[in-house]
Amino acid sequence: MTTQPVVIVGAGPAGLTTAYELGKNGLPSILLEAGKQVGGISQTVNYRDFRFDIGGHRFFSKVPTVNTLWEEILGEDFLLRPRISRIHYNNRFFEYPLKPTNALIGLGPVEALLVCFSYVKTKVFPGPDEKNFEQWVINRFGSRLYQIFFKTYTEKVWGISCTEISADWAAQRIKNLSLKEAVRNALFGAKNGKNREVVTSLIEQFHYPRLGPGMMWERCEELVAGFGSQTLKGIKVERIHHRNGQVRGVSGRSLSGDLVEFDGTRFVSTMPLRELIVAMDPQPPEKVVQAALGLRYRDYLTVVLIVKREDVFPDNWIYIHSPEVKMGRIQNYKNWSPSMVPAPSRTSLGLEYFLWDKDEEWTWSNERLIELGVRECAHLRLIHPREVEDGTVVRMKKAYPVYDQQYQDHVQTIRQYLATFSNFQTIGRNGLHRYNNQDHSMMTGVYAARNIMGLSHHDVWAVNTEKEYHEEGRMALPSAGDRMVPTQVQGAVDESLSGQEAIIQIVFAKLDPVALGVAVGVVTGLAIFAATAILLLKGGPVIGPRLSLLGHFLFGFNMTWGGALIGCLEGSLMGFSIGYAGAFIRNGSLRTYAKFRRWREETDRRRHLLDKV
Amino acid sequence: MGTDPKEKEELSRTVARIQAGVLSIACGLIGGLGLFIMTVWLLLEDGPHVGSHLQLLSNYFIGYSVTWGGSLIGLFYGTLTGGILGWTVGYIYNKVAGIRQGKQTGT
Repeated sequence: MTTQPVVIVGAGPAGLTTAYELGKNGLPSILLEAGKQVGGISQTVNYRDFRFDIGGHRFFSKVPTVNTLWEEILGEDFLLRPRISRIHYNNRFFEYPLKPTNALIGLGPVEALLVCFSYVKTKVFPGPDEKNFEQWVINRFGSRLYQIFFKTYTEKVWGISCTEISADWAAQRIKNLSLKEAVRNALFGAKNGKNREVVTSLIEQFHYPRLGPGMMWERCEELVAGFGSQTLKGIKVERIHHRNGQVRGVSGRSLSGDLVEFDGTRFVSTMPLRELIVAMDPQPPEKVVQAALGLRYRDYLTVVLIVKREDVFPDNWIYIHSPEVKMGRIQNYKNWSPSMVPAPSRTSLGLEYFLWDKDEEWTWSNERLIELGVRECAHLRLIHPREVEDGTVVRMKKAYPVYDQQYQDHVQTIRQYLATFSNFQTIGRNGLHRYNNQDHSMMTGVYAARNIMGLSHHDVWAVNTEKEYHEEGRMALPSAGDRMVPTQVQGAVDESLSGQEAIIQIVFAKLDPVALGVAVGVVTGLAIFAATAILLLKGGPVIGPRLSLLGHFLFGFNMTWGGALIGCLEGSLMGFSIGYAGAFIRNGSLRTYAKFRRWREETDRRRHLLDKV
Repeated sequence: MGTDPKEKEELSRTVARIQAGVLSIACGLIGGLGLFIMTVWLLLEDGPHVGSHLQLLSNYFIGYSVTWGGSLIGLFYGTLTGGILGWTVGYIYNKVAGIRQGKQTGT
């Protein structure tokens, strides 16, 4: 294996993780970062010692490899923080995850009644086709709750009507559980043997670097440098040069406008697929270019307000559902980590706006955006304008890959084209055009590194859904959507899971009702015949006066040989019925139990829908 | 390749087999201890016609009576009878289930 540095385009979580993994194994790399800071969307911006996060990054993962990496990189600077978030609607706060009682009380008696009616109506007359997100949510919450708690926020985030968002998109996030999964989670815990409390705690608290997520990646950059790798900032890659199915080098421009070129034998890219395909030199087939141009991205803008108040609200963030304001969420950075602000007497708020880069607001000046933010915060009664002493704005292009109706076809076309290169991998959120969490992006980096080192062959595109199982080695679902974790093509068999599977197969094995009916029937019939025959053979003046009382239940039974045969026949039938019913009830009970568990778990998952939007 | 929705709803595709020996022991214990306890219960209650109905089991269990000695004999007979019934149910169930499963899978 050559030790020529691996060229990695992008120093976000995926790119840096790749470099880190390679470095640990003695393989240096060159990271080319277009921005002035590492971390990509997980960077922390520092403004007058007020630190803020681009979107709020909770660090929790069900992937052991990622947890180990985080601990390795950050050690004691990794804080465990409580999570508090609420929904702001109509000048009221609602608990999140949604709690029925709290929501109904908050909405007031009239609206609560309408919500209940709407919910019942949906349950009695559900929409026939769940083609879009709107119908999907309405079928589960009713139209009133949808209007209040889902429509506005989802449309703010994605910029398109909920009727234009595919129902699959929601279904991928709130996966329907199979009965077996529900039972497995109930019996063994939802996280590979851990219990339900662990699941809950992951939602109620999370890890966070003391100085924001950027701290993780700045530290990672230092460690990577220690392995002999270089991170070059301000290098915008514009061309990917390739020949005969091999990428030969990349070229671009530095911040000063100088042309820079990097040759290599192995390449990894986290560039957005749209930019990547356009940068390929020579140009890919027209079909691939068109597919790339068809990919859309949602852009993101944070207006940071420095407020002269110690406590504004206790939440880490608030979902803003009120339709009269443009912002979608408000982050309170000091509640993520107290070290995010330089003085306890100040609070920094991040007002998040989700935009298209062609939107008018995207081009507004910082002053105008800050003014908008102050006005909206005042409108929501969160602060008084006089309390704001300063502010700044951060724009992040292509923050969210958009899942429209065509994206899967586009990605598939691009993927097939990229598969023709033997020394080139794309990873990360934008490198896969996948709405991955940070940990998932990191895993694609880990796998890319392992592929380069020849340790194994992982398909970084083959990812698992965000079900309860994020551990490595699970089989991939090729059609699955987002927030997934990559899995090995030749997935190792998870022994604990195969053991659990075996237990479920045994415990929930169906009793065959006919077989049990026959068995109990035969035994009952023969027992009655034998009991009668023994008394007949013994003889006497009055034969079996007590046993003859069975005649009350077995029509035609008496203490004669004929009666013995009738008893045998009818006893068999009665025994069959009992055996059949017993097996039927037993099977039904287990199934009912499984359905109950599934209903509970799915209900709980749906309450967290906003986290997944 | 899609998954059959019905298959997805399956908790277990296995048809349970009954371990005839285990069922035999379970039924034997229930039968033996059941008869023993019933006999002892009547003996402890005492009275002029103690256990006249239970006594009828002597028609089938030679030597059984509602006495302290009979309770031990009843323990033996109850265990034996329960064991035989349990084993028979298990054996027949497995045979029938095996035949039916073979037919369903076409083997």
